[in-house]
Amino acid sequence: MKVKNFLIGPFIIFILWFFISKFNLINNFFLPGPFETIKELITLIFSGELTKDIISTILRMLFAFIISLFIGIPLGLFLGSHKRIYESCEFLIDFFRSIPSTALFPLFLLIFGIGDNSKIAVAAFASTLIIIFNTAYGVMNSKKSRELAVRLMGATRLQRFRLISFWESLPQTFIGLRTALSLTLIIIIVTEMFIGTYSGLGRRIIDFQYVYNIKGIYAVILLTGIIGYLVNAIFIFLEKKVIHWHGN
Amino acid sequence: MAVAISIKNLKKSFKEKEIFKDLSFQINKGDFVALFGPNGSGKTTILNILSNLIEKDSGEFEIKDFKHDNFSYIFQNYRDSLLPWKNNYENIIFPLKIQKKSDKEIENSIKEIQKIFNINSNLNSYPYELSGGQQQMIAFARGFINKPNLLFIDEPFSALDYENNLLLRKHLQDYYIKYKPTILIITHNIEEAAHLANKIIIFSKNPTEIIDIIDNQENYPRNISFLKSNNFYKIKDEITSAFQKGANL
Repeated sequence: MKVKNFLIGPFIIFILWFFISKFNLINNFFLPGPFETIKELITLIFSGELTKDIISTILRMLFAFIISLFIGIPLGLFLGSHKRIYESCEFLIDFFRSIPSTALFPLFLLIFGIGDNSKIAVAAFASTLIIIFNTAYGVMNSKKSRELAVRLMGATRLQRFRLISFWESLPQTFIGLRTALSLTLIIIIVTEMFIGTYSGLGRRIIDFQYVYNIKGIYAVILLTGIIGYLVNAIFIFLEKKVIHWHGN
Repeated sequence: MAVAISIKNLKKSFKEKEIFKDLSFQINKGDFVALFGPNGSGKTTILNILSNLIEKDSGEFEIKDFKHDNFSYIFQNYRDSLLPWKNNYENIIFPLKIQKKSDKEIENSIKEIQKIFNINSNLNSYPYELSGGQQQMIAFARGFINKPNLLFIDEPFSALDYENNLLLRKHLQDYYIKYKPTILIITHNIEEAAHLANKIIIFSKNPTEIIDIIDNQENYPRNISFLKSNNFYKIKDEITSAFQKGANL
Protein backbone atom coordinates (compact mmCIF):
# COMPACT_ATOMS: atom_id res chain seq x y z
CA MET A 1 0.00 0.00 0.00
CA LYS A 2 2.81 2.36 0.98
CA VAL A 3 4.72 1.52 -2.21
CA LYS A 4 1.59 2.27 -4.24
CA ASN A 5 1.18 5.68 -2.57
CA PHE A 6 4.84 6.40 -3.06
CA LEU A 7 4.49 5.82 -6.82
CA ILE A 8 1.37 7.95 -7.38
CA GLY A 9 3.18 11.36 -7.39
CA PRO A 10 6.01 10.40 -9.78
CA PHE A 11 3.51 8.57 -12.01
CA ILE A 12 1.29 11.67 -12.33
CA ILE A 13 4.30 13.87 -13.18
CA PHE A 14 5.48 11.30 -15.70
CA ILE A 15 2.05 11.16 -17.40
CA LEU A 16 1.81 14.99 -17.45
CA TRP A 17 5.31 15.25 -18.89
CA PHE A 18 4.47 12.58 -21.47
CA PHE A 19 1.32 14.38 -22.69
CA ILE A 20 2.95 17.82 -22.72
CA SER A 21 5.68 16.36 -24.90
CA LYS A 22 3.33 14.21 -27.02
CA PHE A 23 1.05 17.12 -27.93
CA ASN A 24 4.00 19.49 -28.21
CA LEU A 25 2.51 21.89 -25.64
CA ILE A 26 6.08 22.99 -25.02
CA ASN A 27 8.43 22.80 -27.97
CA ASN A 28 9.97 19.31 -27.94
CA PHE A 29 13.37 20.81 -28.54
CA PHE A 30 13.19 22.51 -25.12
CA LEU A 31 11.29 19.73 -23.35
CA PRO A 32 12.03 16.28 -24.71
CA GLY A 33 9.68 13.47 -23.67
CA PRO A 34 10.27 11.36 -20.57
CA PHE A 35 11.14 8.20 -22.51
CA GLU A 36 13.77 10.01 -24.63
CA THR A 37 15.21 11.62 -21.48
CA ILE A 38 15.43 8.35 -19.59
CA LYS A 39 16.93 6.66 -22.67
CA GLU A 40 19.51 9.44 -22.88
CA LEU A 41 20.33 9.04 -19.18
CA ILE A 42 20.79 5.29 -19.53
CA THR A 43 23.00 5.79 -22.58
CA LEU A 44 25.11 8.40 -20.76
CA ILE A 45 25.52 6.21 -17.69
CA PHE A 46 26.32 2.97 -19.52
CA SER A 47 28.70 4.66 -21.95
CA GLY A 48 30.73 5.66 -18.89
CA GLU A 49 30.59 9.29 -19.97
CA LEU A 50 29.17 10.43 -16.63
CA THR A 51 31.11 8.15 -14.30
CA LYS A 52 33.85 10.66 -13.50
CA ASP A 53 31.28 13.45 -13.06
CA ILE A 54 29.15 11.40 -10.69
CA ILE A 55 32.16 10.41 -8.59
CA SER A 56 33.51 13.98 -8.49
CA THR A 57 30.19 15.48 -7.40
CA ILE A 58 29.54 12.84 -4.76
CA LEU A 59 33.08 13.10 -3.35
CA ARG A 60 32.87 16.90 -3.13
CA MET A 61 29.48 16.63 -1.47
CA LEU A 62 30.73 14.06 1.05
CA PHE A 63 33.86 16.06 1.87
CA ALA A 64 31.83 19.22 2.42
CA PHE A 65 29.26 17.37 4.50
CA ILE A 66 31.84 15.61 6.66
CA ILE A 67 33.65 18.91 7.32
CA SER A 68 30.38 20.59 8.31
CA LEU A 69 29.51 17.60 10.48
CA PHE A 70 32.78 17.74 12.41
CA ILE A 71 32.58 21.49 12.92
CA GLY A 72 28.82 21.94 13.22
CA ILE A 73 27.90 19.26 15.75
CA PRO A 74 30.52 20.01 18.45
CA LEU A 75 29.99 23.75 18.03
CA GLY A 76 26.21 23.37 18.11
CA LEU A 77 26.42 21.20 21.24
CA PHE A 78 28.71 23.72 22.90
CA LEU A 79 26.57 26.72 22.02
CA GLY A 80 23.35 24.91 22.93
CA SER A 81 24.62 24.13 26.39
CA HIS A 82 25.95 27.67 26.95
CA LYS A 83 22.91 29.81 26.38
CA ARG A 84 24.67 33.13 26.93
CA ILE A 85 27.37 32.37 24.40
CA TYR A 86 24.72 31.16 21.95
CA GLU A 87 22.76 34.38 22.40
CA SER A 88 25.88 36.38 21.67
CA CYS A 89 26.46 34.38 18.46
CA GLU A 90 22.82 34.06 17.42
CA PHE A 91 22.88 37.24 15.34
CA LEU A 92 25.99 36.12 13.46
CA ILE A 93 24.60 32.64 12.76
CA ASP A 94 21.28 34.02 11.52
CA PHE A 95 23.06 36.74 9.53
CA PHE A 96 25.34 34.34 7.67
CA ARG A 97 22.50 31.83 7.26
CA SER A 98 20.50 34.54 5.52
CA ILE A 99 23.23 35.34 2.99
CA PRO A 100 22.79 33.25 -0.19
CA SER A 101 25.86 31.06 -0.42
CA THR A 102 26.20 31.97 -4.11
CA ALA A 103 26.94 35.55 -3.04
CA LEU A 104 29.99 34.24 -1.21
CA PHE A 105 31.53 32.52 -4.26
CA PRO A 106 33.88 35.41 -5.11
CA LEU A 107 35.14 35.58 -1.55
CA PHE A 108 35.78 31.85 -1.35
CA LEU A 109 37.47 31.92 -4.76
CA LEU A 110 39.85 34.57 -3.47
CA ILE A 111 40.62 32.65 -0.31
CA PHE A 112 40.68 29.05 -1.60
CA GLY A 113 41.47 29.47 -5.32
CA ILE A 114 39.58 27.97 -8.24
CA GLY A 115 40.18 24.30 -7.39
CA ASP A 116 37.97 21.92 -5.47
CA ASN A 117 38.78 23.58 -2.16
CA SER A 118 36.63 26.63 -2.81
CA LYS A 119 33.64 24.52 -3.90
CA ILE A 120 33.91 22.27 -0.86
CA ALA A 121 34.51 25.24 1.45
CA VAL A 122 31.48 27.21 0.34
CA ALA A 123 29.20 24.15 0.65
CA ALA A 124 30.69 23.24 4.03
CA PHE A 125 30.26 26.82 5.26
CA ALA A 126 26.55 26.93 4.44
CA SER A 127 25.90 23.43 5.81
CA THR A 128 27.84 24.07 9.01
CA LEU A 129 25.59 27.00 9.88
CA ILE A 130 22.49 24.83 9.40
CA ILE A 131 23.96 22.09 11.59
CA ILE A 132 25.09 24.51 14.31
CA PHE A 133 21.68 26.14 14.47
CA ASN A 134 19.73 22.88 14.63
CA THR A 135 22.06 21.13 17.07
CA ALA A 136 22.13 24.10 19.44
CA TYR A 137 18.38 24.40 19.19
CA GLY A 138 18.04 20.68 19.96
CA VAL A 139 20.12 21.02 23.13
CA MET A 140 18.37 24.18 24.29
CA ASN A 141 14.89 22.77 23.76
CA SER A 142 15.52 19.32 25.17
CA LYS A 143 13.10 18.10 27.83
CA LYS A 144 14.35 19.22 31.21
CA SER A 145 12.59 16.47 33.17
CA ARG A 146 15.18 13.84 32.24
CA GLU A 147 18.06 16.12 33.07
CA LEU A 148 16.50 16.90 36.44
CA ALA A 149 15.95 13.21 37.14
CA VAL A 150 19.59 12.49 36.39
CA ARG A 151 20.76 15.50 38.39
CA LEU A 152 19.00 14.03 41.42
CA MET A 153 20.94 10.82 40.89
CA GLY A 154 24.08 12.84 41.52
CA ALA A 155 25.23 13.17 37.90
CA THR A 156 27.92 15.75 37.19
CA ARG A 157 27.37 18.49 34.60
CA LEU A 158 29.50 16.56 32.11
CA GLN A 159 27.55 13.34 32.72
CA ARG A 160 24.26 15.20 32.29
CA PHE A 161 25.48 16.62 29.00
CA ARG A 162 26.96 13.36 27.74
CA LEU A 163 24.19 11.07 28.88
CA ILE A 164 21.12 13.28 28.47
CA SER A 165 21.42 16.58 26.57
CA PHE A 166 23.36 15.06 23.69
CA TRP A 167 20.76 12.33 23.15
CA GLU A 168 17.85 14.71 23.66
CA SER A 169 19.24 16.95 20.95
CA LEU A 170 19.65 14.19 18.36
CA PRO A 171 16.20 14.38 16.70
CA GLN A 172 16.66 18.10 16.00
CA THR A 173 20.31 17.54 15.04
CA PHE A 174 19.22 14.99 12.45
CA ILE A 175 16.76 17.48 10.97
CA GLY A 176 19.72 19.84 10.56
CA LEU A 177 21.91 17.11 9.07
CA ARG A 178 19.33 16.16 6.46
CA THR A 179 18.78 19.76 5.45
CA ALA A 180 22.52 20.31 5.34
CA LEU A 181 23.07 17.24 3.19
CA SER A 182 20.55 18.40 0.56
CA LEU A 183 21.98 21.91 0.68
CA THR A 184 25.51 20.56 0.21
CA LEU A 185 24.52 18.75 -2.99
CA ILE A 186 22.77 21.85 -4.34
CA ILE A 187 25.73 24.12 -3.63
CA ILE A 188 28.25 21.66 -5.06
CA ILE A 189 26.27 21.41 -8.32
CA VAL A 190 25.95 25.21 -8.53
CA THR A 191 29.65 25.77 -7.83
CA GLU A 192 30.55 23.18 -10.49
CA MET A 193 28.40 25.13 -12.91
CA PHE A 194 29.76 28.58 -12.16
CA ILE A 195 33.18 28.36 -10.52
CA GLY A 196 34.52 25.99 -13.14
CA THR A 197 35.90 22.48 -12.95
CA TYR A 198 37.04 19.63 -15.17
CA SER A 199 34.44 17.17 -13.89
CA GLY A 200 31.14 17.15 -12.02
CA LEU A 201 27.47 16.98 -12.83
CA GLY A 202 27.12 20.77 -12.66
CA ARG A 203 29.90 21.17 -15.19
CA ARG A 204 28.22 18.55 -17.40
CA ILE A 205 24.92 20.47 -17.37
CA ILE A 206 26.69 23.66 -18.48
CA ASP A 207 28.64 21.75 -21.17
CA PHE A 208 25.42 20.28 -22.56
CA GLN A 209 23.88 23.75 -22.54
CA TYR A 210 26.76 25.14 -24.62
CA VAL A 211 26.20 22.50 -27.32
CA TYR A 212 22.39 22.58 -27.10
CA ASN A 213 22.18 18.97 -25.95
CA ILE A 214 18.85 19.59 -24.24
CA LYS A 215 18.11 15.90 -23.74
CA GLY A 216 21.49 15.60 -22.00
CA ILE A 217 20.68 18.56 -19.71
CA TYR A 218 17.40 16.95 -18.64
CA ALA A 219 19.07 13.57 -18.21
CA VAL A 220 21.74 15.03 -15.87
CA ILE A 221 19.17 17.06 -13.97
CA LEU A 222 17.17 13.86 -13.50
CA LEU A 223 20.32 12.11 -12.33
CA THR A 224 21.12 14.81 -9.73
CA GLY A 225 17.55 14.44 -8.46
CA ILE A 226 17.99 10.68 -8.19
CA ILE A 227 21.32 11.10 -6.35
CA GLY A 228 19.76 13.62 -3.96
CA TYR A 229 16.82 11.33 -3.33
CA LEU A 230 18.99 8.26 -2.71
CA VAL A 231 21.31 10.14 -0.35
CA ASN A 232 18.27 11.38 1.54
CA ALA A 233 16.79 7.86 1.67
CA ILE A 234 20.05 6.44 3.06
CA PHE A 235 20.07 9.19 5.64
CA ILE A 236 16.47 8.52 6.68
CA PHE A 237 17.38 4.84 7.08
CA LEU A 238 20.32 5.79 9.33
CA GLU A 239 18.17 8.24 11.23
CA LYS A 240 15.61 5.54 12.02
CA LYS A 241 18.38 3.31 13.34
CA VAL A 242 20.07 5.97 15.47
CA ILE A 243 17.03 7.80 16.86
CA HIS A 244 14.73 4.79 16.88
CA TRP A 245 12.71 6.19 19.78
CA HIS A 246 11.78 9.40 18.01
CA GLY A 247 8.09 9.51 17.17
CA ASN A 248 7.36 6.41 19.25
CA MET B 1 12.77 8.71 66.91
CA ALA B 2 15.46 10.53 64.88
CA VAL B 3 14.28 13.34 62.64
CA ALA B 4 14.94 12.74 58.93
CA ILE B 5 13.43 15.90 57.45
CA SER B 6 12.55 19.13 59.17
CA ILE B 7 10.81 22.05 57.48
CA LYS B 8 10.52 25.36 59.27
CA ASN B 9 8.55 28.47 58.25
CA LEU B 10 8.78 27.60 54.57
CA LYS B 11 7.53 30.24 52.17
CA LYS B 12 7.09 29.89 48.42
CA SER B 13 5.18 31.85 45.79
CA PHE B 14 4.89 31.50 42.05
CA LYS B 15 4.46 35.03 40.65
CA GLU B 16 1.41 36.39 42.46
CA LYS B 17 0.27 33.04 43.78
CA GLU B 18 1.33 32.25 47.32
CA ILE B 19 1.73 28.51 47.80
CA PHE B 20 3.03 28.37 51.39
CA LYS B 21 3.16 31.21 53.85
CA ASP B 22 4.62 29.58 56.90
CA LEU B 23 4.81 25.83 56.56
CA SER B 24 6.50 23.75 59.22
CA PHE B 25 6.57 20.02 59.91
CA GLN B 26 8.94 17.18 60.68
CA ILE B 27 9.31 13.68 59.36
CA ASN B 28 11.00 10.98 61.35
CA LYS B 29 13.50 8.52 60.01
CA GLY B 30 11.74 5.44 58.64
CA ASP B 31 8.36 7.17 58.36
CA PHE B 32 6.11 6.38 55.44
CA VAL B 33 4.37 9.71 54.92
CA ALA B 34 1.56 10.51 52.51
CA LEU B 35 1.00 14.12 51.48
CA PHE B 36 -2.67 14.55 50.74
CA GLY B 37 -4.41 17.70 49.62
CA PRO B 38 -6.25 19.48 46.81
CA ASN B 39 -4.66 20.36 43.47
CA GLY B 40 -2.35 23.34 43.70
CA SER B 41 -1.74 22.92 47.42
CA GLY B 42 2.00 22.59 46.73
CA LYS B 43 2.59 18.91 47.41
CA THR B 44 4.95 18.49 44.45
CA THR B 45 6.47 21.90 45.23
CA ILE B 46 7.53 20.63 48.66
CA LEU B 47 9.27 17.61 47.15
CA ASN B 48 10.93 19.83 44.54
CA ILE B 49 12.16 22.29 47.17
CA LEU B 50 13.48 19.48 49.37
CA SER B 51 15.36 17.98 46.43
CA ASN B 52 16.71 21.39 45.41
CA LEU B 53 14.98 21.38 42.05
CA ILE B 54 13.38 24.73 42.88
CA GLU B 55 14.33 27.49 45.28
CA LYS B 56 12.35 28.35 48.39
CA ASP B 57 11.54 32.03 49.01
CA SER B 58 12.37 31.86 52.69
CA GLY B 59 12.34 29.51 55.66
CA GLU B 60 14.52 26.53 56.35
CA PHE B 61 14.63 22.85 55.72
CA GLU B 62 17.07 20.13 56.59
CA ILE B 63 17.47 16.56 55.41
CA LYS B 64 19.70 14.58 57.73
CA ASP B 65 22.60 12.72 56.13
CA PHE B 66 21.45 13.50 52.59
CA LYS B 67 23.44 11.75 49.87
CA HIS B 68 22.49 11.51 46.19
CA ASP B 69 23.53 7.86 46.22
CA ASN B 70 20.88 7.02 48.82
CA PHE B 71 18.10 9.18 47.48
CA SER B 72 15.48 8.61 44.80
CA TYR B 73 12.69 10.71 43.38
CA ILE B 74 10.10 8.95 41.26
CA PHE B 75 8.39 11.61 39.16
CA GLN B 76 4.73 11.80 38.30
CA ASN B 77 5.51 12.06 34.59
CA TYR B 78 7.40 8.78 34.52
CA ARG B 79 7.35 8.77 30.67
CA ASP B 80 9.45 11.91 30.57
CA SER B 81 11.92 10.68 33.14
CA LEU B 82 12.73 7.34 31.49
CA LEU B 83 15.42 7.53 28.82
CA PRO B 84 13.88 6.37 25.52
CA TRP B 85 17.28 5.76 23.87
CA LYS B 86 18.19 3.22 26.54
CA ASN B 87 16.52 -0.16 26.88
CA ASN B 88 14.60 -1.08 30.02
CA TYR B 89 17.56 -2.81 31.62
CA GLU B 90 19.82 0.20 31.03
CA ASN B 91 17.11 2.49 32.37
CA ILE B 92 16.78 0.55 35.60
CA ILE B 93 20.51 0.37 36.29
CA PHE B 94 21.11 3.96 35.20
CA PRO B 95 21.51 5.40 38.75
CA LEU B 96 24.10 2.74 39.54
CA LYS B 97 26.01 3.56 36.35
CA ILE B 98 26.03 7.24 37.36
CA GLN B 99 27.37 6.21 40.74
CA LYS B 100 30.01 4.06 39.01
CA LYS B 101 29.04 0.84 40.78
CA SER B 102 30.79 -2.36 39.75
CA ASP B 103 29.19 -4.85 37.36
CA LYS B 104 28.86 -7.34 40.20
CA GLU B 105 26.97 -4.83 42.38
CA ILE B 106 24.74 -3.92 39.45
CA GLU B 107 23.98 -7.56 38.73
CA ASN B 108 23.06 -8.25 42.36
CA SER B 109 20.92 -5.13 42.60
CA ILE B 110 18.92 -5.84 39.45
CA LYS B 111 18.28 -9.42 40.56
CA GLU B 112 16.94 -8.21 43.88
CA ILE B 113 14.78 -5.48 42.33
CA GLN B 114 13.38 -7.89 39.77
CA LYS B 115 12.45 -10.17 42.63
CA ILE B 116 10.87 -7.48 44.80
CA PHE B 117 8.96 -5.85 41.94
CA ASN B 118 8.26 -9.08 40.09
CA ILE B 119 9.32 -7.52 36.80
CA ASN B 120 8.47 -9.78 33.89
CA SER B 121 8.75 -7.24 31.06
CA ASN B 122 11.40 -7.84 28.45
CA LEU B 123 14.32 -5.83 29.77
CA ASN B 124 15.96 -5.73 26.34
CA SER B 125 13.03 -3.83 24.84
CA TYR B 126 12.67 -0.06 25.02
CA PRO B 127 10.29 1.95 27.25
CA TYR B 128 8.19 3.03 24.23
CA GLU B 129 7.48 -0.64 23.52
CA LEU B 130 5.80 -1.06 26.91
CA SER B 131 2.35 -0.10 28.18
CA GLY B 132 1.96 2.90 30.50
CA GLY B 133 1.70 0.62 33.53
CA GLN B 134 4.82 -1.35 32.58
CA GLN B 135 6.73 1.89 32.03
CA GLN B 136 5.66 3.02 35.48
CA MET B 137 6.97 -0.24 36.88
CA ILE B 138 10.33 0.37 35.17
CA ALA B 139 10.45 3.90 36.60
CA PHE B 140 9.72 2.40 40.01
CA ALA B 141 12.41 -0.24 39.68
CA ARG B 142 14.89 2.49 38.71
CA GLY B 143 13.87 4.47 41.77
CA PHE B 144 14.65 1.54 44.06
CA ILE B 145 17.74 0.11 42.39
CA ASN B 146 20.14 2.17 44.51
CA LYS B 147 18.38 1.03 47.71
CA PRO B 148 17.46 4.57 48.77
CA ASN B 149 17.00 5.42 52.40
CA LEU B 150 15.08 8.54 51.38
CA LEU B 151 12.45 8.27 48.70
CA PHE B 152 10.12 10.84 47.16
CA ILE B 153 7.28 9.47 45.06
CA ASP B 154 4.85 11.69 43.18
CA GLU B 155 1.54 10.00 42.33
CA PRO B 156 3.02 6.62 41.63
CA PHE B 157 -0.10 4.72 40.71
CA SER B 158 -1.68 7.09 38.19
CA ALA B 159 -1.19 4.87 35.10
CA LEU B 160 -2.11 1.58 36.70
CA ASP B 161 -5.32 -0.41 36.72
CA TYR B 162 -6.60 -1.44 40.14
CA GLU B 163 -4.97 -4.86 40.07
CA ASN B 164 -1.52 -3.51 39.21
CA ASN B 165 -2.07 -0.63 41.60
CA LEU B 166 -2.57 -3.10 44.47
CA LEU B 167 0.37 -5.15 43.25
CA LEU B 168 2.68 -2.14 43.21
CA ARG B 169 1.49 -1.15 46.70
CA LYS B 170 2.47 -4.63 47.83
CA HIS B 171 5.94 -4.34 46.22
CA LEU B 172 6.39 -0.92 47.78
CA GLN B 173 5.56 -2.34 51.21
CA ASP B 174 7.92 -5.28 50.67
CA TYR B 175 10.75 -2.84 50.02
CA TYR B 176 9.71 -0.66 52.96
CA ILE B 177 9.64 -3.60 55.36
CA LYS B 178 13.03 -4.83 54.19
CA TYR B 179 14.97 -1.54 54.13
CA LYS B 180 12.90 0.86 56.28
CA PRO B 181 13.58 3.98 54.19
CA THR B 182 11.93 7.33 54.81
CA ILE B 183 9.24 7.72 52.17
CA LEU B 184 7.27 10.80 51.13
CA ILE B 185 4.50 9.92 48.76
CA ILE B 186 2.05 12.28 47.06
CA THR B 187 -1.35 10.90 46.31
CA HIS B 188 -4.80 12.15 45.41
CA ASN B 189 -6.34 8.89 46.44
CA ILE B 190 -7.53 8.54 50.04
CA GLU B 191 -7.43 4.75 49.82
CA GLU B 192 -3.76 4.75 48.78
CA ALA B 193 -2.86 7.17 51.58
CA ALA B 194 -4.72 5.19 54.25
CA HIS B 195 -3.38 1.89 52.93
CA LEU B 196 0.30 2.72 52.71
CA ALA B 197 1.29 5.55 55.01
CA ASN B 198 1.89 5.50 58.74
CA LYS B 199 1.47 9.26 58.76
CA ILE B 200 -0.89 11.23 56.52
CA ILE B 201 -0.38 14.98 56.27
CA ILE B 202 -3.51 16.77 55.07
CA PHE B 203 -3.00 20.07 53.27
CA SER B 204 -5.52 22.87 52.82
CA LYS B 205 -6.04 24.92 49.68
CA ASN B 206 -3.32 27.51 49.18
CA PRO B 207 -1.86 29.38 50.84
CA THR B 208 -1.33 25.92 52.21
CA GLU B 209 -1.57 25.02 55.83
CA ILE B 210 -1.47 21.66 57.51
CA ILE B 211 -5.00 20.79 58.58
CA ASP B 212 -4.17 17.58 60.32
CA ILE B 213 -1.55 14.86 60.64
CA ILE B 214 -3.18 11.47 60.98
CA ASP B 215 -1.30 8.51 62.42
CA ASN B 216 -1.92 5.03 61.08
CA GLN B 217 -0.33 2.47 63.40
CA GLU B 218 -1.47 -0.59 61.48
CA ASN B 219 1.37 -3.08 61.08
CA TYR B 220 3.02 -3.81 57.74
CA PRO B 221 2.45 -5.65 55.47
CA ARG B 222 -1.04 -4.30 55.01
CA ASN B 223 -2.81 -6.72 52.73
CA ILE B 224 -6.19 -6.63 51.01
CA SER B 225 -8.01 -7.65 54.19
CA PHE B 226 -6.78 -4.43 55.81
CA LEU B 227 -8.65 -2.53 53.07
CA LYS B 228 -11.86 -4.16 54.31
CA SER B 229 -11.20 -3.61 58.01
CA ASN B 230 -12.90 -1.17 60.36
CA ASN B 231 -9.55 0.43 61.17
CA PHE B 232 -9.02 1.25 57.48
CA TYR B 233 -12.48 2.85 57.24
CA LYS B 234 -11.84 4.77 60.44
CA ILE B 235 -8.63 6.24 59.04
CA LYS B 236 -10.31 7.01 55.71
CA ASP B 237 -13.06 8.83 57.61
CA GLU B 238 -10.51 10.87 59.54
CA ILE B 239 -8.77 11.87 56.30
CA THR B 240 -12.08 12.74 54.62
CA SER B 241 -13.20 14.85 57.58
CA ALA B 242 -9.90 16.72 57.70
CA PHE B 243 -9.93 17.24 53.94
CA GLN B 244 -13.55 18.46 54.08
CA LYS B 245 -12.55 21.02 56.69
CA GLY B 246 -9.62 22.27 54.60
CA ALA B 247 -11.45 22.36 51.32
CA ASN B 248 -14.55 24.08 52.79
CA LEU B 249 -16.84 21.44 51.26
